[in-house]
Amino acid sequence: MKQRTILSLLTAAALALTACGGGSDSGTGGSASGSGAPAGEPQQGGELTVLEDAAFAGSWPAGLDPATNTTGGSNIAMMQAIFGGLFLLTADEDGSNAEVTGNQAESYEFSEDGLTFTVKLREGIEFSDGTPLDAEAVRFNWERDLANPCTCKPTWPLAEGGIQVIDPLTIQLSFTRPYPAVLASFPAANVNWIASPAALEAQGEDAFKITPVGAGPFTVVENQLSSALELERNESYFKEGQPYLDRLTFQSIGGDQPAYQALQAGQAQAYEGLNTTPLLEQAQANDQLQVTIQPATSPYVVQLNTKIAPFDDVRAREAIYRATDFDAINEGIFGGNYDVSQGFTGPGGLFYEETVEGYPEFDLDRAKELVQELGGLTVRLGTISNYVATQINTALQTQWQEAGIDVEIADYQLSGVIQEFTGGQWQAMLQTAGAWDPAAGVGVGFRFNSGVPYSGVADPTLDQLLSDASATLDEQQRADLYRQAAELIAENFYAPFGLAFAPANIAAVGVHGPGLTTKIPPILVNAGVIWDEVWREQ
Amino acid sequence: MTATATTPRVPADSRGPRASRVGRVTGSPVLRLVVKRLLMAIPIMLGVTVLTFWVLSLIPGNAAQQLLGPEATPEDIALLEQQLGLDKPGVVRYLEWLQGAVTGDLGQSIVSRQPVSEILSQRLPVTGEIVLLAFVVSLVLAIPVALLAAHKPDGVMDRISMVVSTLGLSVANYVLALLLVLVFAVTLGWLPAIGFVPLEDGLWPNLRSMILPSAAIGLPLFCFYTRFLRGDLVDQMQQEEYVTTARAKGVGSWSVLIKHAFRNSSFGLITIVGLNLGALIGGTVIIEQIFALPGIGQMLLQAINTRDFVVVQAAVVIFALVAVLANLIVDLLYAVLDPRIRYGSS
Repeated sequence: MKQRTILSLLTAAALALTACGGGSDSGTGGSASGSGAPAGEPQQGGELTVLEDAAFAGSWPAGLDPATNTTGGSNIAMMQAIFGGLFLLTADEDGSNAEVTGNQAESYEFSEDGLTFTVKLREGIEFSDGTPLDAEAVRFNWERDLANPCTCKPTWPLAEGGIQVIDPLTIQLSFTRPYPAVLASFPAANVNWIASPAALEAQGEDAFKITPVGAGPFTVVENQLSSALELERNESYFKEGQPYLDRLTFQSIGGDQPAYQALQAGQAQAYEGLNTTPLLEQAQANDQLQVTIQPATSPYVVQLNTKIAPFDDVRAREAIYRATDFDAINEGIFGGNYDVSQGFTGPGGLFYEETVEGYPEFDLDRAKELVQELGGLTVRLGTISNYVATQINTALQTQWQEAGIDVEIADYQLSGVIQEFTGGQWQAMLQTAGAWDPAAGVGVGFRFNSGVPYSGVADPTLDQLLSDASATLDEQQRADLYRQAAELIAENFYAPFGLAFAPANIAAVGVHGPGLTTKIPPILVNAGVIWDEVWREQ
Repeated sequence: MTATATTPRVPADSRGPRASRVGRVTGSPVLRLVVKRLLMAIPIMLGVTVLTFWVLSLIPGNAAQQLLGPEATPEDIALLEQQLGLDKPGVVRYLEWLQGAVTGDLGQSIVSRQPVSEILSQRLPVTGEIVLLAFVVSLVLAIPVALLAAHKPDGVMDRISMVVSTLGLSVANYVLALLLVLVFAVTLGWLPAIGFVPLEDGLWPNLRSMILPSAAIGLPLFCFYTRFLRGDLVDQMQQEEYVTTARAKGVGSWSVLIKHAFRNSSFGLITIVGLNLGALIGGTVIIEQIFALPGIGQMLLQAINTRDFVVVQAAVVIFALVAVLANLIVDLLYAVLDPRIRYGSS
């Protein structure tokens, strides 16, 4: 992370030079800039090199076995390319109408009481080693996933003996309580990626994590962990004529600036997850590149630790709300590229509400008044070490200081953030909240449930609202419950929400593909690119 | 017959040319030096590994916490710690590692379960090549430029070399790396911006992939070596009596500079080069990230991030070993450059 910080600082210094260096840059917006450019008829063949940030998606130190890849949530691209996935998140080209659709799964069904979830698999799918992807293979994978400690291990409220094979192509999950969020949790979870049990047994676990075998569009040629993954077309892929590419390579690289230069030099054709705003602006002005800013699903939130001083006092929390102006941060630092949320979902997510009733707006005079009433306010504001978060924290420090608040800011590596939270003495922490479905992944409960160590709130009413929302099948009812939860958070000044940021994907002109050059809401951080539909103009 | 510090030295001439050569190779002073240094390396390596282990233990979080991330429950972390053997006391883990290491078994990566020796065999050649080429780039450029600059202090060449060197020393190698990519890969398109081509795929493709990374590390060193060597040469030329004597005998200024002053100045240069090796290897960490090279530096950074102490230890052992060997070679080179130096003699 330190390395990444250095590179981020360096980015700023090198920007002017880079701008001069790109011979193909133009001042006019020649890029696709967020909407899928007219693609035409897909063409077969070609190779694609995709760059991934070494600090996130370009790091797969534990290998790519779904059951043991502890960074599976950040390696969605590689996992999807090798394993395909039972379900995919798909959307219209502009990111609207996003929904979880069957891929290797033909269909799914919830029981009326929401206690069972039945998945029907497509017939005739084989792993690339020739063995069948059937219900037994899925059961084997799910049981293995549940037995391993992993970030993406399913958190299903599974009943005793809750995984049942109904017939060779049908498998059923039974829960102890209604759990409709199970569907939305699939596309970014390890349970979505089904590995070949026969190949696992033949290779052994240690070798399998290097050269895993799935039924996805590509097979592994060479895998140098956290460095480069070379894949080639799976000739026995179940979708006729797909994938379009012959070869696909994922290359890890040390940050946005080197990645951008590699794209300019033509050594790679795509980069997932650009978040350095000045580079984003350059890429948008480059007629050789397409920029797709994904619809944000997880807005930034300033978590306030209501369990200790100073934020156990509601006046201190209100002072933070009143002193915070995320609109100004968005305009001043991020060129107005993003939306500002008042709740725990971004515009690309489910149950997004543009405004939350009773949300405390920016009011500097009121903030000053409250600080005076409190006899002063001193705050330690932390965040994780990345470009966007540290930029926002610096801006917040400036804004809060205008209201008379003394602010000390700090940024931490992941382990430091964990230590701060588990130590319980943190005061304010800038984090992201929510997910595409607030009940799935790192959802809203992760930041607001009483029992979670990463929450600063202990409110039984809020706990109940979030629990009810995640257990409700009826969409309208869920929306109502989440609206009430957002209003409760605002009413109690628990945590001001802000920039709904989502990283951008950059692709060379002539590359097309869902999630890469069209919008798909990110389930967690990066959008789930559908690799079997990615193609290059020949 | 062998000469030792306690036995009288036999003049080489009296033993005949062949005996003299054999004596130089197998003679005990050199051999003793090598053996002594290698023996000294043992406590050094032990100290380095203990320190590394201790420092890693001070960093918050362990491999299990790092891998599982903030969503992990304490139960998950405890289970993974047990699976990875991290629940054992630190001393036990270190001794287990040490036991394997002394028998040549550097263990398995905690995170990937790959044998560390296999990881090193993939990555060591990449870093080794960068370092070697960086040395070649820096020395091949620094020596002639320093000689030209020292030949006429305050002359045109001296001033140009000073400006270039000062600029080079002021720019961090990672900034230089991005600038080199911008010019030679993005603008001119002559060289690749990222990636490593193994030697098996051809010498030229391999060298092409290594030119920019090596230059990014080597050019700042070139600037440093140039300033250092030039300063020492000028001192030798202006202050040493042997230079005055040589000039009085009518020896040309270039000849005095190259045959006499440079020979003496090269001692200092060799010392600096030896000492710089550690910094040079350290420089590969960020350079390998920028150029997406699968070397030891990239591996070390990833291992630190995931708290994979087995891999970190292996990398540190390699670095320490290289530093020890480099210093040994420097000492041996002193003897080659100046036959008056005989290690182990009284």
